[in-house]
Amino acid sequence: MRYRVTHTTTYEYTDQVGASYNEACLLPRSCPQQALLAARLEISPVETDFRVREDFFGNQVAYFSINKPHHEFSVTAISEVQVYPAPTQLNFSQGMAWENVREILEENMSPQNLDARQYVLDSPLISASNELSSYARDSFYPGRPLLEAVHDLMQRIFHDFTFDPEFTTLATPLSEVLEHRRGVCQDFAHLAIGCLRSQGLAARYVSGYIETLPPPGEEKMVGADASHAWFSVFIPEQGWMDFDPTNNQVPNDQHITVAWGRDYSDVTPLKGVIFGGKDHELSVSVDVQRLGE
Amino acid sequence: MKLHSTHTRPDLSYGLGESAYDEMLDSSGQVRPHWTTLMHALEELGSAELESRHQEAHKLLRENGVTYNVYGDPDGVNRPWQLDPLPLLISGEEWREMETGLLQRAELLNLILADLYGSRELIKKNLLPLELIYNHAGFLRACDQVKLPTSRQLVFYAADLARGPDQKMWVISDRTQAPSGAGYALENRMAVSRVLPQLFRDSQAYRLERFFQSIQAGLNTIASPRTEAPRIVVLTPGPFNETFFEHSYLASFLGYSLVQGNDLTVRDGYVWLKSLTGLQRIDVILRRVDDNYCDPLELLEDSCLGVPGLLEVARRGNISIANPLGSGVLENPGIQPFLPAIARHFLGQPLKLPTAATWWCGQQKELDYVLANLDNLVIKSIYRRPGDSSIFGSQLSKNELAEWRARIRANPKMYIGQEHVTFSTAPSVTSQGLDPRKILLRCFAVARHNGYEIMPGGLTRSAPEKGDMPITGQMGSISKDTWIIAAEPQYATANASQAQSVLSRSHHSNALPSRAADNIFWVGRYAERAEGSVRLLRATVKKLYINPEPDNSNYQACIHNLLRSITSLTGTWPGFFAEDTDALLRQPETELLSVTLDEERVGSLAHSLRRLVKAGYAARDLWSSDTWRVMDELENNLMQSQEDHDTALWQLQGNMDMLITTLSALSGLVMESMTRNDGWLFLDIGRRLERGLQLITIMRTAFSVKHEDPVETQLIESLLNASDNLICYRQQYRSYFELSSFLELLLLDENNPRSLIYQIMRLQEHVAKIPSENSDQRLSTAQRLTLEAGTMIRLVNLNNLLEVSEDGMREHLDQQLSRLYYLLSALSDAISTEHFRHGSAPQPL
Repeated sequence: MRYRVTHTTTYEYTDQVGASYNEACLLPRSCPQQALLAARLEISPVETDFRVREDFFGNQVAYFSINKPHHEFSVTAISEVQVYPAPTQLNFSQGMAWENVREILEENMSPQNLDARQYVLDSPLISASNELSSYARDSFYPGRPLLEAVHDLMQRIFHDFTFDPEFTTLATPLSEVLEHRRGVCQDFAHLAIGCLRSQGLAARYVSGYIETLPPPGEEKMVGADASHAWFSVFIPEQGWMDFDPTNNQVPNDQHITVAWGRDYSDVTPLKGVIFGGKDHELSVSVDVQRLGE
Repeated sequence: MKLHSTHTRPDLSYGLGESAYDEMLDSSGQVRPHWTTLMHALEELGSAELESRHQEAHKLLRENGVTYNVYGDPDGVNRPWQLDPLPLLISGEEWREMETGLLQRAELLNLILADLYGSRELIKKNLLPLELIYNHAGFLRACDQVKLPTSRQLVFYAADLARGPDQKMWVISDRTQAPSGAGYALENRMAVSRVLPQLFRDSQAYRLERFFQSIQAGLNTIASPRTEAPRIVVLTPGPFNETFFEHSYLASFLGYSLVQGNDLTVRDGYVWLKSLTGLQRIDVILRRVDDNYCDPLELLEDSCLGVPGLLEVARRGNISIANPLGSGVLENPGIQPFLPAIARHFLGQPLKLPTAATWWCGQQKELDYVLANLDNLVIKSIYRRPGDSSIFGSQLSKNELAEWRARIRANPKMYIGQEHVTFSTAPSVTSQGLDPRKILLRCFAVARHNGYEIMPGGLTRSAPEKGDMPITGQMGSISKDTWIIAAEPQYATANASQAQSVLSRSHHSNALPSRAADNIFWVGRYAERAEGSVRLLRATVKKLYINPEPDNSNYQACIHNLLRSITSLTGTWPGFFAEDTDALLRQPETELLSVTLDEERVGSLAHSLRRLVKAGYAARDLWSSDTWRVMDELENNLMQSQEDHDTALWQLQGNMDMLITTLSALSGLVMESMTRNDGWLFLDIGRRLERGLQLITIMRTAFSVKHEDPVETQLIESLLNASDNLICYRQQYRSYFELSSFLELLLLDENNPRSLIYQIMRLQEHVAKIPSENSDQRLSTAQRLTLEAGTMIRLVNLNNLLEVSEDGMREHLDQQLSRLYYLLSALSDAISTEHFRHGSAPQPL
């Protein structure tokens, strides 16, 4: 499936901003299930310095600064990607038991395996805890095939937790999400990752978009989409497999990947430091447009 | 055991302590050969003399403002540096071995650093476990692939050494982030060689100067090869940092500007210093800010100590930072057990310096060992946070041991266990004579283009009490100089031509950071404010206590006017202007004491002095040592006055006299020994501005309303006295005190350095000299303001000023002074906004 994604972030400040320094993780990366066709950033006011680099995790990160006074600042990322459908549906009840996966992760020194090991460790926003481990255990009974266990975990999160954008902010700790059973896609991804890591498995955070379809008979509204997040689990010899606990599905060709990392903090879409500005109002609009097969 | 059975005086006796090894005495109690010269000389000196030299060193360090700030210390910041004048001696023979070991270790750590932010071969080959490195908060993923243009990434390295059970010096820990102590070591050397000059000359100890030349050479080396004469700055977290003294000391010793994060800005892919003359490109940063705090964009977002965008500039190779961001990853004690294998891998050599045995709990066997032997191991976290200290298993109770076992088991990858090294002792000068105290030695290395160089000496710290050495992250405790005893005599700066070539490459005309100009301007203003306040206070106190005439209404009116002048001069409103002030005016002591001593009260004399010292300290690197000594005296004066709470007012006159002398010494030094550079310019602008504002305030308070002639006569006398113009007035006018002569002298006499016109003329000259970015010919705001003030005061008609209207007011005097007051205040604001632009704090988007 071919898509064009337009993602605009606008800040309006009450006071003048003298200078701003920013990093945007908005340009999609290429990966086995996705080819990047074109991507660019439009920045207003026009930036004074701009450079894109590949970060530690292989994501495309744009650095830019604005060194002239302004009251409003906006960044629009426009990208076109081709997403390939997933290979035929896997049989989750086959494959290696999760304990074997853990053992291989600990011992095997192959480059892929070594790279995956960093995603077993605690990360800035996700620390393994007894609570996470005990929530995970119901899915991870001895000898259960890895994918079956992960699939079960995803389903449980979907059923046990309520999607509630009012409840959490970026600063809400995982323990509160777990206690109150509420959150948004980012929280559910973090939660699943924490559960997997608590079992000694490698899991990473994926940021991107999902194509939403309008109710039957209605036109799709421009800008009504949102950025999205899900998680990915490592399977030795096979690589990474995505799961979307917010929608209770294994991503196929409607998920567009932008970046991945240990958690949200590694792939924050837009961060920055400003001088001046005082208060601000933030508006975000995302539009995922299907261009063709 | 006595030193020499026949010669030793009882007061210099020294015996072996409980430690297995003493640096001076061998196990049979004989003085080791490299200590004999020193000990003979000390015996000659005698213990009383040694103690007096000890005091002298202490005084010297205090006067030079050598401090070590301890967070949360009840003594507040600026704790004086503690120095034991008796150095630690190391024989040249042993040193050669240590030096070789340190050189190898610096090379090795450098290779590890380059690898961890490069190809990470060590992890791929399982020479370092991924979990040990990736779990360490000092491994900064944002710094991946960021490199200095030279082969050595680790520019500065320091190691803490202590003597292990095999009697060799062992490495206890490595410092690779922003190692401190080299400046203190130099200052210690300066103090010891001054108080024990003969001893030092006879000792044949290696000199330290060359090492600091190597720092300059090393920093020049890492600058981008595109730069002809690199501009180098020292980046400090600021005056509240524990080692701020060292930052300012190194900056002035090495000839670099001392800057804080806000003094720098990133533009167009480069780092710039906000200086008085505009933005100046910076090539190299000697960093004393921890790496996490250096860039709020990519590292800790709420840091106010860094420069947003700095890391991106480093990534492009447009700024070289020493040590590079991310180098704290090497301060992971869990790396220690893997070093021997890495040394074989990288260097094909065994590790030369022994290290305390260390077990990383991230491995099962090691974890089991640590848990089983916890009671005689040292427990450390792999990442040392500020304020963390090591845990000694032997000092823990059963319950505590169980708690620690649980903590380690829950997160084994985050902990190490380390063999408890017992340390050696060395003689320490105490009030009871010489005493064996445990010691820890910090050694320093710097990278030059052809290899590392080790400082031939170091910073020795000795335990303040008998018994174990407290190992904390902070460097408190007592320090010692460290002498490496050479076989032949040492001469200062053996290689002068080499030093010359080093200096010629670095940029010498250092721009004044605008923050420094700001501080120095306020030093000028507060010094003058303090002087004006104390002079007026003293004159008033004199009037109150010498020949008081409580029944004389003229005297009373004069006193009241002086008291009100104090309120308006210091701005301690409402003070003597409060409603219903009769009682206050009759009993002014409490209010006067408060205006003098209450540091919390904005405008009080103590407050001005505190602000003066604070601004002076923040610009510490710009003062000569003599000027600093005067500042130190001011601080002492201040602290003493804070101690006696029940002082009566009249008793303060002596202190006031002393304070005036000290403040005059400060202005004298500034006039006589400060180069007429931009710094001096701003200091004098501050001073002239403040003096002008004070003169106007006093004259308006005293003479805007016409008083009875006898009252005005008394007032004139007191005010002449307060402004140090009495003699001058008598010589010039030889007459009674009358207002017209008074105004002529204090307002309009261009030759009188205390007149208003004199201040305004100087301001006009100074303001024209302020460097400007704009080359256009138009006048700056500051120039326009001084031009108006200058014209106005020149056109003043004295008779006009003296006119009294029907309601008893001198309206002309009041109006004209009020306009001048406005102009000078506006000038102060204009200078602040135009020139002190280090500006607002960054905040996350």
